[in-house]
Amino acid sequence: MTTLTAQRTVTDERPRLNKPPDKFRWSARGFALPSLAIVAVMLYLPFLWTAYLSFTEFNGLGDPEWVGLEKYREMFADAGFLTSVQNTLIWVVGTLVLPVGLGLLIAVLAHEIKGSFWYRLPFLLPYAISGVAVGVIWTFILQTDGALSEALRFLHLPGAELRWLLDAPLNTLVMIVAATWQGAGVNALLFGIGLQSIPKEPMEAARLDGASGWTLFRTMTWPMLAPLTTVVVGLAIVGSLKTFDIIWAMTKGGPGRVSETLALTMYKETFVNNDYGLGAAVALFLTVVTVAASIIYLRRQLSDSKEL
Amino acid sequence: MFVKKTLCLTAAATTAALTLAACSGGGGGETTAGGGGRAEDVMLGFYTDKAAWEPSFDTMNEASAAEGLTLDFTGYSDPTAFDSFVKQAFRTDQVPDLFTWHTGSQLAELVEQGLVAETTDLWAEAEANGDVPEGLIDNYTYDGKQYCVPLNVAYWTMYYNKATFEEYGLEVPETWDDLMTIADTLVENGEVPFHQMNIIFEFVWFQAMLAGNAPETYRGLQTGEASYTDPEVVEVMEQWGEMIDKGYFIDPGVSTDPQTLLSTGDVAMAYFGTFFTGQLDGIGAESGTDYGIFPVPNMNPDVEQRQMILETGPLCVGTGSANEQAALDYSAWWLTEEAQNEWSSSRGDVSFNPKADVADPELAALVEEVTGEGSDFEIQQRYLEANPLPVYTLSTEIFGDFVTNAPDPLPGLERLQAEAEAYWAEQ
Repeated sequence: MTTLTAQRTVTDERPRLNKPPDKFRWSARGFALPSLAIVAVMLYLPFLWTAYLSFTEFNGLGDPEWVGLEKYREMFADAGFLTSVQNTLIWVVGTLVLPVGLGLLIAVLAHEIKGSFWYRLPFLLPYAISGVAVGVIWTFILQTDGALSEALRFLHLPGAELRWLLDAPLNTLVMIVAATWQGAGVNALLFGIGLQSIPKEPMEAARLDGASGWTLFRTMTWPMLAPLTTVVVGLAIVGSLKTFDIIWAMTKGGPGRVSETLALTMYKETFVNNDYGLGAAVALFLTVVTVAASIIYLRRQLSDSKEL
Repeated sequence: MFVKKTLCLTAAATTAALTLAACSGGGGGETTAGGGGRAEDVMLGFYTDKAAWEPSFDTMNEASAAEGLTLDFTGYSDPTAFDSFVKQAFRTDQVPDLFTWHTGSQLAELVEQGLVAETTDLWAEAEANGDVPEGLIDNYTYDGKQYCVPLNVAYWTMYYNKATFEEYGLEVPETWDDLMTIADTLVENGEVPFHQMNIIFEFVWFQAMLAGNAPETYRGLQTGEASYTDPEVVEVMEQWGEMIDKGYFIDPGVSTDPQTLLSTGDVAMAYFGTFFTGQLDGIGAESGTDYGIFPVPNMNPDVEQRQMILETGPLCVGTGSANEQAALDYSAWWLTEEAQNEWSSSRGDVSFNPKADVADPELAALVEEVTGEGSDFEIQQRYLEANPLPVYTLSTEIFGDFVTNAPDPLPGLERLQAEAEAYWAEQ
């Protein structure tokens, strides 16, 4: 009897473990408060302040003056802004095709080779260099009469006369190549981890069924890499939308504004031109685009993987 | 209202303090409290975007120590970051005692907010002592009062490689036609006559040519009285485009330092401010032996006075800073011949003070030619500071594209004019 009572008592207490008493819940909230406060102060307040600034005329001194939607009108009417949007789109597409594509290729080719880590390592090293340093190195290569032009001229190959960093959209394309040099390795690393996590049995079964090469990749490897692809592509989209450092180091968005992206426009309007309102409007536009692109992409990918 | 009150109070306080300082200083034109008069030495917080100039300011500290004033130097190497820092500093209680800034509309912004201390009395005394040249005060005057003092000045002049000139038997040009003939000779011999940039200094050939073609129009653009579509401006752009087409300029995509390009002979001439002398000295080029300087001749021979572009950067005192009065005393000292002799020799550059010795003989000759007795030079403000910020900003885009691609200039000029009209309509 005593035993039964004791058992009942234990059984009765089980649900309580999942649902702590109110006082513990409040204590837990208390512990979370400092981190929530930090997030609010460091992220949400500046965001709200930026949103407010985008409706004002403000040069960084004195008080902002409310101008309603004027800065947004100004932003959309500016030809330079439209060039920025166009260049940002080129960066998104270019980043998906080159660093992500190349990363996948390196990972797949190096996979299952003994010592594959060592094959991937050289590609990974540039990731340790800052974007600005990468920009400086590639400026040396790509400037007019730089290393690339001189090499092409020496080898009597075409292209020596090209003005790599001066003509649009060529300058944006070569900067994407520079970004690829830096970023392909980390994508290869991530895809490599994804490939290693694919279970061997279904792959072997597919091989026994006669699948190999491209067919094996298309029907087995690629679908099973989907969760990791979601992460890599998601990061690539967000990263390319806010590209700044390499462009700032290589062309400063020029000549004129032909290689500007939205992140550069935001910085230049705010800090170089002292038009904080316009800079904030561009920042808000960029935030909306980035968040929207991330949500649309992730929702789509996650719903696809649920179907699988 | 608050701003006006602050300005009035600052002005009153400054005047009172200066009067007291003048009384205690023992006369002789000294406005500073001086080493003996100062109760204790003061170290002034000094912020600048001229990080590379730190050694010169160290030298200045040795000289100003006798006044009981030294600078605690903080140098930014990124001008944009520096500008943001200064603006943010005024929103805190850590207002910089002394800081460098820009003349033109950017100084006007600070003055409008009452953030910089008035220096009218300092200028009056400096003018009376002959410590500042005529006309310089205009760069520091807002509503009839002065703010800040000149940190430095630079005359914009042509640097040329002497070896290249000697090789082709070229002489320093007297007229614009001479200059173009020199350029033709150099091009025929496979040399690149001129340096040109499509960032930072993309506007400089426009300023040199327009000032030399139509000085009134150059000034008129600064006040909205002239138009970017005026025939004199179009003429300048067409001439500039022609020069680009003829291969007079180095490709703007070359990002090697201009001082290196000039000293190696990759370009025969480079149009820069006199600060360029320091940069050439820095790579071991010898003034008068490896390179020389000459003022750019007027593009239009009918313009009577020769034109010289002057750039000047201010040294400002933050209103309400911890050592405001001491910083004003330092500003007063900075204007003196004694301080400027030190400055000129430590920088290897010219000084705004006509009495200061200029160590470099080439620069000394230029200063004498421009400011000396019987000079026929007319001084013009540099395009960057002289024009409203939104117009200048757009011009960097227009001129940057022009330098790179030499397109039809009219659409660009029309855009600049539209921006200028929008700006002046709001004033």
